[in-house]
Amino acid sequence: MSLRDQAHPNPHRLEQIEGTTPQMVGRYPHYDVLTQVDHWDEVTRRVVLDRVENVPPIRFFDDAEARTLKAFCDIVTAQDEEPRIPVLSYVDEKLEGGIGDGWQHDDLPADGEVWRIVARGLDEAAGGRFAEASEDDRVEIVHRFSKAKLRDGVWRELNVERAWGVVMRYVVQAFYSHPWAWNEIGFGGPAYPRGYGTFGSPHLGEREPWEGKESVHYDPVRDAKKWGLD
Amino acid sequence: MSRLPAENDSALLLHPHKRGLQNLDRMARYRDDDVVDLAVVGAGAGGSVLAQRLARRGWKVVVLEKGPFWDPDRDWVSDEKGAGQAGLYWTDNRIISGNDPVELGKNNSGVGVGGSMTHFAGYVPRLHPSDFGVRSRDGVAVDWPISYEELKPSFERVESELPVAGEYWPWGDPHGYPHKPHPVAGSALVAWEGARRRGIEMHMGPVAITNGRFGNRPHCIYRGFCLEGCKVNAKASPLVTHLPDAIEHGCEIRADSFVTRVEIDDGGGRASGVMYIRDGAERFQRASAVAVCGYAIETPRLLLNSVCRRHPNGLGNAADLVGRYVMVQGAPQVAGRFPELLRMYKAPPPEISSEQFYETDPRRGFARGFSIQTISPLPIGWAEHVLAEGHWGQSLREYMRDYNHWSVLGVLAEFLPLPENRVTLADEKDAFGVPIAHFSYSQCDNDKAIVAYAKNVLEQIWDAADAMDVLTIDRYAHLVGGARMGSSPDESVVDSSHRVWGIDNLFVVDGSVMPTQGSANPALTIMALADRCARLM
Repeated sequence: MSLRDQAHPNPHRLEQIEGTTPQMVGRYPHYDVLTQVDHWDEVTRRVVLDRVENVPPIRFFDDAEARTLKAFCDIVTAQDEEPRIPVLSYVDEKLEGGIGDGWQHDDLPADGEVWRIVARGLDEAAGGRFAEASEDDRVEIVHRFSKAKLRDGVWRELNVERAWGVVMRYVVQAFYSHPWAWNEIGFGGPAYPRGYGTFGSPHLGEREPWEGKESVHYDPVRDAKKWGLD
Repeated sequence: MSRLPAENDSALLLHPHKRGLQNLDRMARYRDDDVVDLAVVGAGAGGSVLAQRLARRGWKVVVLEKGPFWDPDRDWVSDEKGAGQAGLYWTDNRIISGNDPVELGKNNSGVGVGGSMTHFAGYVPRLHPSDFGVRSRDGVAVDWPISYEELKPSFERVESELPVAGEYWPWGDPHGYPHKPHPVAGSALVAWEGARRRGIEMHMGPVAITNGRFGNRPHCIYRGFCLEGCKVNAKASPLVTHLPDAIEHGCEIRADSFVTRVEIDDGGGRASGVMYIRDGAERFQRASAVAVCGYAIETPRLLLNSVCRRHPNGLGNAADLVGRYVMVQGAPQVAGRFPELLRMYKAPPPEISSEQFYETDPRRGFARGFSIQTISPLPIGWAEHVLAEGHWGQSLREYMRDYNHWSVLGVLAEFLPLPENRVTLADEKDAFGVPIAHFSYSQCDNDKAIVAYAKNVLEQIWDAADAMDVLTIDRYAHLVGGARMGSSPDESVVDSSHRVWGIDNLFVVDGSVMPTQGSANPALTIMALADRCARLM
């Protein structure tokens, strides 16, 4: 039993009841990490709340690139409706800031240029505008990108396999640094200065009073067959 | 409170409730034309220990550090992405290549006072006695010019200063630790049970995290953000373990100062000081001796960039060895999935480890071995893990929603030093006009064989633990070598007292001198080498 290689629809669309998650889907329906901000140190609080309250404007990408890449980010993070985490805004902010992650492959240009080439390549693969292609086509193009099967035209300008690694690194950093994603996955978030009370043996499976209770409707591994997931 | 070290008052010089250093207002300030006794390049594990030891002996020491002077209260956050934004990693560009290029940045670099130990996980195992003679014992790599016994007193001194918490350690040279082990969280408990059933011995520690008050350093609160900089001052880094004492004894830590060249006196052939850039201006600090402590990428880069009439290929590079034999450890991780909510974020990442597979066993078909350690990635780290198996879209989201059910084990595999794994200068230059580093890396067959075997052992542990699913990621950890220590100038860059061959007042005191790396995280060894080197100077 495995979730591997599944592009399965989430059969539950488990609705988030308190707090916000991307598309209001989550495993912890009554968990809102943002109710805990008073327990965070001020420096951390400012950094995290900025992600919700001060979404940076797109400055690095032009309008056409942004339209294509937003559609790409939606596909790779399965964000098909609001509320969405504005992934591309944070990608753009990082590229505009000019501070990368500290390395560049010798067969790739700088990260910002990789993103621009990917934007052109996606449009080319869509035979026009990637953002206006059907969802099936967009998913198929991204699938081919992820398997480094896009090789022609624009894609000759870079090592496609590595380029996938570069853009996805930016994507997951933007998505999983957002407190809405923490609500979805039940991550406790910043823990200073409070720390944890139920830590270590014999507290296996125990939660802090403020941590989310997982919805018990199904276990995605154990119940995969039952729910037609496998 | 456990016993404090006799020759290091750092823990007492800190404030019990504020994390920043308290004695900065009385720190010595040397002028550029003061001939200081020693200019140290880099305030990391090597440079900081060296500076503290020599300052205590009355030397006038200036440490030049490219990055800022951190105040953990003001600068650091409990946040994965925020740690990068705070500037803890070396993010200036570097080019990587080879068959198995090594990604740099957050995983294996640091900048700022305290070096990469400010965000290291905290594991501080010793090397084994066998590590110092792998050529003689196993017929691979090279022997060190010093023995374990020569370094042992330094290991012990540093362990008492960090201080290290852990169980009695049965592997290598068996030894105990000054602090008792930390409690073990749920994600490590399931791994431990799997290992037990599989006949693999694991023990708690060894970690450089206080377990109990230590001077004015508080107990760990287990917030889980070791890799983002400790806001508690419980986890060791030179910023809190050695530099307060160094400053108290007249050492100047000159932050935001990027050293671009070591200057060699044209007449006598000795190092006369260092060129550095501060506030946009190029300056020259005079010194009677220079210690380069910039780690495996920046140390070779600085030596190679310091070309002069006497050393047209760079300092210590007459035999074309500077930048060669750079090593990383193979560090694949295998995650196991359990029905319980393990919440692996609720713990320091380093909890339990095993060195049962550390030594060569000819039946396994490769030389040397690996260690096993728990790792507890936060959400971005976990997403990279999921991504590595090809998941994106709904599949990525679903594995991520499952985050709290997973536990992660990693290995550190001893990769062998190879001459073609090297740092060179690229054509591209940085903002200061210095050529950036180009790091090429390829694995040899022995490296690949260890990793394949080690991943299988991790899978067996999860199988024995009744994990419902596993996920694997191939990655690397740590960086050492590049200015190796040896017995002759034909085969090494520095001698056994860290002196660059041919320039008797120029030293390299960091991980780049390590001829081999074992399967141990390198921080403790680097500090121990600096302790030993200081005694010889």
